[in-house]
Amino acid sequence: MTPNDVSILFLTLRVALCATLVILPLGVGAGWLLARRAGGFRPLVETVLSLPLVLPPTAVGLLLLQALRPRGMAGRLLDSVGIELLFTWKAAVVATAVMSFPLLVRPARTAFEEIDPRLLAMGRSLGSSPVRVFGRVALPLAWRGILAGTLLAFCRALGEFGATILVAGNIPGRTQTLSLAIFQRTQVGQDQAAMRLVALTVVIAFVTVLASELVARRRSQRTAV
Amino acid sequence: MIDLDVSLPLARFPLRIETTLSGQAVAVLGPSGAGKTSLLECIAGLRRKASGRIVVSGTTVMDSGRRMFLPAERRRIGYVPQDALLFPHLTVEDNVRFGMRRGAAGESLYRESVAILEIGDLTQRYPATLSGGERQRVALARAIATEPRLLLLDEPLAAVDQQLKGRILPYLLRIRDELRIPFLYVTHNAGEARTVAKEAIVLREGGVAFAGPSDEALRSVTVIDPEARFDNVLAGVLDAETALGETASLRVGSAVFAVPAEEAQAPGRAVFAVAPEDVLVSTKPLSGVSARNVRPGAVISREVSGATAWIRIGSVGLEWTARLTLAAADELELLPGSPVWIAVKSHAFRRLR
Repeated sequence: MTPNDVSILFLTLRVALCATLVILPLGVGAGWLLARRAGGFRPLVETVLSLPLVLPPTAVGLLLLQALRPRGMAGRLLDSVGIELLFTWKAAVVATAVMSFPLLVRPARTAFEEIDPRLLAMGRSLGSSPVRVFGRVALPLAWRGILAGTLLAFCRALGEFGATILVAGNIPGRTQTLSLAIFQRTQVGQDQAAMRLVALTVVIAFVTVLASELVARRRSQRTAV
Repeated sequence: MIDLDVSLPLARFPLRIETTLSGQAVAVLGPSGAGKTSLLECIAGLRRKASGRIVVSGTTVMDSGRRMFLPAERRRIGYVPQDALLFPHLTVEDNVRFGMRRGAAGESLYRESVAILEIGDLTQRYPATLSGGERQRVALARAIATEPRLLLLDEPLAAVDQQLKGRILPYLLRIRDELRIPFLYVTHNAGEARTVAKEAIVLREGGVAFAGPSDEALRSVTVIDPEARFDNVLAGVLDAETALGETASLRVGSAVFAVPAEEAQAPGRAVFAVAPEDVLVSTKPLSGVSARNVRPGAVISREVSGATAWIRIGSVGLEWTARLTLAAADELELLPGSPVWIAVKSHAFRRLR
C-alpha cells in the first residue's frame, strides 16, 4: 500500500462514517414512525424513502446537484449560512447518506414492528412518558435490528459511486473515495494499483457484512428462547 | 370507589359498562370474550377509543364529555395483564424497578414488593426463564412497586386449571390485607372470587349481567359462564403444633379441618382449595367413612346447568359448593333447607401457593 492508498482509504472511511452518523438518528426516527403510525400516507412515504435503492445513482446525484447548486433550493440556504458543499468531501457525505438511507430505515422499521405494542403500552401504564418508553423499551428491544441496518448502510456508503461523482467530483486527495479511485486507475491503465484498492474494499466489506450477519444470528437465537 | 360509565366498540359487540363499585376488592366474572380484559384496559388508559367517564377514588381519569383523557402514565393504576407482559430485555429486578420512584421510599417499596410476592430468588433471572405463575407474581410486584391507587389483575383462564402452583390468590390476599391497595380481580374461579372480594360484577356480552355481593354473583355465574370453577377456597391458619395423627389442622374462623401433613411444612397463613367434585353429600349422618372432615350442614340453594347440579351448603359457618350429577341430586331430594352432612377427605384439601 502506498501513502496515497492510505489517504484514499481514510477519506473513504471518513465519508462513510460521517454519512452513517448523519442518517442514524434520522433512519431510526423514520423507522419508528413507519412502524408505529399507520396513516394513509405510509405507502407513499415508504416508496419515496426507497427510491434511492432503485433509481440509478447518477439520477439521484443529478437531482442532488440541482438542489445543492448555488441557485438551487438547498444551495441558497447553505449559501446564506456560508457553507460551501459542492465538490467537497461534505458533498460526498450528503450523496452517500441519501443513497444508504433506505438500507437503514428498512431493518430499523422491521425491528420496531416486531415489538409487541402492548409492551409499549405497559411501559406507559408503569408511569413512563412516550419518549421514555421509546428509550427504555423500544430502543433496547430493537437495537440489534438497528445495528444490522447501520452496518449495511455503512457498507453501501463505502462503495457509493454514481451520486458521489456528480456532486463531489473525482478530485484526487479531496473527494476521491475508493470506488472513484478504482474507476480512475482502470481508466488510465493502472490495473495493478486499482487491484490493490479492490483488495482493500473486499476486506472492509467482508468484515462489516460478517459483523452484520453475526448480529442478525444472535438476534434470531434470542427470540427463539 | 370506582365510577364506571364506559363505552367501547369491540369486534363482536360494544362494551357498555355503567356501574359503581364501592368495595376495596371487586371480582370481575363472566365467560371468555365478555369484555373483562377490555374493561380493565379502559380503566388503565390503554384504550384511546373508549368514551364515557371513569372516576377512580375521586380522581377523574377519563371524561369524554369534557374531552378529558388522562394518559396511562399519569393514572397511577397498576395493571397485571393475562400474559404478564414483562419486559423481555430486563431482569426480574429491573422489571420490578421499572416504574418505581427513586430514593429511599422507592427502595423500601421494592423490598416490600419482592418480599410479599416471594420473588427474592428470581431477581437476576430473565422473564424467558420463568414459569407462568412466576411471571404473574413478578408482574404483580412490578405493579405494586409503582404505588398504584388501584390494581387491575387479569388472571389467565389457563391458570384456573392449575390447582396448586402458579395461583396468584394467596398473594392477592396478602396485598389486600397488608398493603390495602384496592383492586379489580378478573377470574374464572367464582369460589376464589368470593374469598378475595365481597363485591363482584359479572359481565356478559359487553354488559353488566350482575353487580352486587360476590356470594350472590355465584348463582348468575353458574348460568352465564360454563368455564367457571366453583372451588371452595379456605383462607385460614395452618397449625403445626396440634397434629392430629397423620394430618395437620387448618383453622378457618372457628372451624378446624384436617389437611395432609405434608402441606404443613410452612405453617401460618395458608390458602386451601377443595374442588366441588370432592365434596361428598349425604342426607344421613355419616359414620364409618375414611374421610377426616365430616360436618353437618343445610342446603342453601340448588342450581342446575346441563346435567350438573350445583348444591350450596352452609356448614360450620362457611358456604360450600358441591357438584353432583342431576340424577344424584334428584334422588337425594336436595332442596333448600334440607339437612345434610358433607364429607371431605383430607387429601382433597389442596394448598394454593
